[in-house]
Amino acid sequence: MGPSLPRPPPRIDDVDDLFAPPEAAWRRVSPRLATARRASALVMLGVLGTVGLAVLWMAGAGAVWLGVALVGLLGLAAWQWWFIGRVVRRWGYAEQDDELYITRGALVRTFVAVPYGRMQYVDVAAGPLDRMLGIATVHLHTASPGTTAVIPGLVADEAARLRDRLTERGEARAAGL
Amino acid sequence: MSSSEHPVDQPALQQPPLQPPPGGARRLSPLTPLVRAPIVVLAVAGGSWQSFLNGGLGPSSVAVLGLLAAGLVYGVASWLRTTYWIHDDELRIDTGVISRQSRRIRIDRLQGIDIVQPLVARLFGLAELRFDTASGSGREGTLAFLPHSEAVALRTQLLRQRDADRAAEQVPGDGGPAGGEGASSVDRPPRELARLDLQLLLLSTIMSPVTVAFVVGGVAMLVGSLLTGAPLFAGGLLPVVVGTGIAAFRSFSAAYGFTVTESDEGVSVRRGLTALTSQTVPLPRVQGVVVSEPVMWRPFGWARLEVSVAGGGGHVDDSTFSASTLLPVGPRDEVLRLARHVLGGEDPTTVSLVPAPHRARWAAPLSWWTLAFGHDDRYAVSRRGWWTRRFDVVPQAKVQSVRIRRGPWQSRLGLATLFVDSPVGKVSVEARHRDPVEVRRLMLELVDGGRRARRPAQPLSGNDPAGQGFL
Repeated sequence: MGPSLPRPPPRIDDVDDLFAPPEAAWRRVSPRLATARRASALVMLGVLGTVGLAVLWMAGAGAVWLGVALVGLLGLAAWQWWFIGRVVRRWGYAEQDDELYITRGALVRTFVAVPYGRMQYVDVAAGPLDRMLGIATVHLHTASPGTTAVIPGLVADEAARLRDRLTERGEARAAGL
Repeated sequence: MSSSEHPVDQPALQQPPLQPPPGGARRLSPLTPLVRAPIVVLAVAGGSWQSFLNGGLGPSSVAVLGLLAAGLVYGVASWLRTTYWIHDDELRIDTGVISRQSRRIRIDRLQGIDIVQPLVARLFGLAELRFDTASGSGREGTLAFLPHSEAVALRTQLLRQRDADRAAEQVPGDGGPAGGEGASSVDRPPRELARLDLQLLLLSTIMSPVTVAFVVGGVAMLVGSLLTGAPLFAGGLLPVVVGTGIAAFRSFSAAYGFTVTESDEGVSVRRGLTALTSQTVPLPRVQGVVVSEPVMWRPFGWARLEVSVAGGGGHVDDSTFSASTLLPVGPRDEVLRLARHVLGGEDPTTVSLVPAPHRARWAAPLSWWTLAFGHDDRYAVSRRGWWTRRFDVVPQAKVQSVRIRRGPWQSRLGLATLFVDSPVGKVSVEARHRDPVEVRRLMLELVDGGRRARRPAQPLSGNDPAGQGFL
């Protein structure tokens, strides 16, 4: 994998084209999503790391080993920090006339096209941390469980707008199964 | 549109009971309590009869008799308190001895009515009706048990009324309710499409992967016990033999007498040795088909046909065959002919398949040479698999979403996979491990094709938002 790419990808070859939207540019999700995810990842790592270090210390590990463990932990945290940033930067969506396109993923990348007429319903969800940061997740459901149409990290207004827009278009284009 | 109608689709469970029209309410067969718990009744009766003959009633048999009596009283009470009737456009079923339940099933929402006859019910000439309203939750309502002729008559009556209701609310010239030519053609005699040959069923049961694995394992164990001289191996074999035998018999008995007929409501399947099952797949709800050929069937040219149906199916109890199996085994030609029929007459095998590139062998070493994908303006099809070769077909108009996925290993190899998403079921059209440029082109073409295929078809009235049940 190459270095973390800002949008749009500067290197234009077939691989990057694969995940380009069909017409306009991707709308990206809010960087606040990275804040939320980094915060919860760091808290998680902090708790697990503290417990792990305490266990090591009680098991009589020397300062060298404790130091190695600490460095490993910090490395893991740094990697998480970078990786979450990459995931969030890569998340994007594009509303077209008849379909919603979503791209996501850092290691495993996906790109999905959902026709508005196929939508069964739209969910908007926001956890406590999300609400503190003023972001929400929009989830589109079709009759297929394979459709993974999730857009997290939308600023609350945009989430509401997107939900209304999707519902409206879904009703206008509803197709029978 | 779909979501707003959601509350209407759910069968009303706890609505206040409504007074039936005078003389309009009907009861189930009075034999129902007997059929409901036949084994208990037989065991109890047999047991106490024995002790009665052996001189009087011991305390245990008194208790048992008491239980039996209580059970019978409850059964009779439950029978007395269960009534059903048709009111306007609803079928209402009132049940419950102590707490009353009233269930309403909208007739124009009925997708199918299955007739099921478990063994004991069959002995008494009774049958159970199961109603499918495509709300996705599976159990929408049952009537158990009715005399078989009455069940058939009620089914016909309900379906006829449904078609009339739908025709009344439908724009004329919109294809008709269930792929039929008119509303009142429930009476049209069903045409047989396929029948499972008994000999073929036996042979294919023997040639199933389970049986072959079992024989290979058994031979290995026998050889092992002969070499070591320890009979333990043979002893350990017995439960396995019995288990495999039972499994094989169950699948055999579930598929016994498998008959596929065409009726006005769609394609009907009847099957079963001990318990008879009859179910109907409405053709407009077919989301795709898959023809699969296990490796040991291929020399004989046998195949299996399964379909994806929107909104359930699969609510039949025995797990051996879900409602999605349209023909458990048959000659390939016949299977393909049936597949064509279910899809509406056009041949999916004429779609030209393009194989995956050579470098896919690094991503799928065991099946790369079988991977192929193709599409035209009607279908998206894919072929894959060596152990079980499968050919999946989804009509363009039924595609839910189109998705590209590329994992890190694929990224290194310069490959990506395209998924054509369809509702829950056996069918999954996938273009695995192909060139990214091609995958992207395919995706945009499919999106475009789906848009064009959907546009002329206005939603059928009574087509439920069938996906809700599993989301």
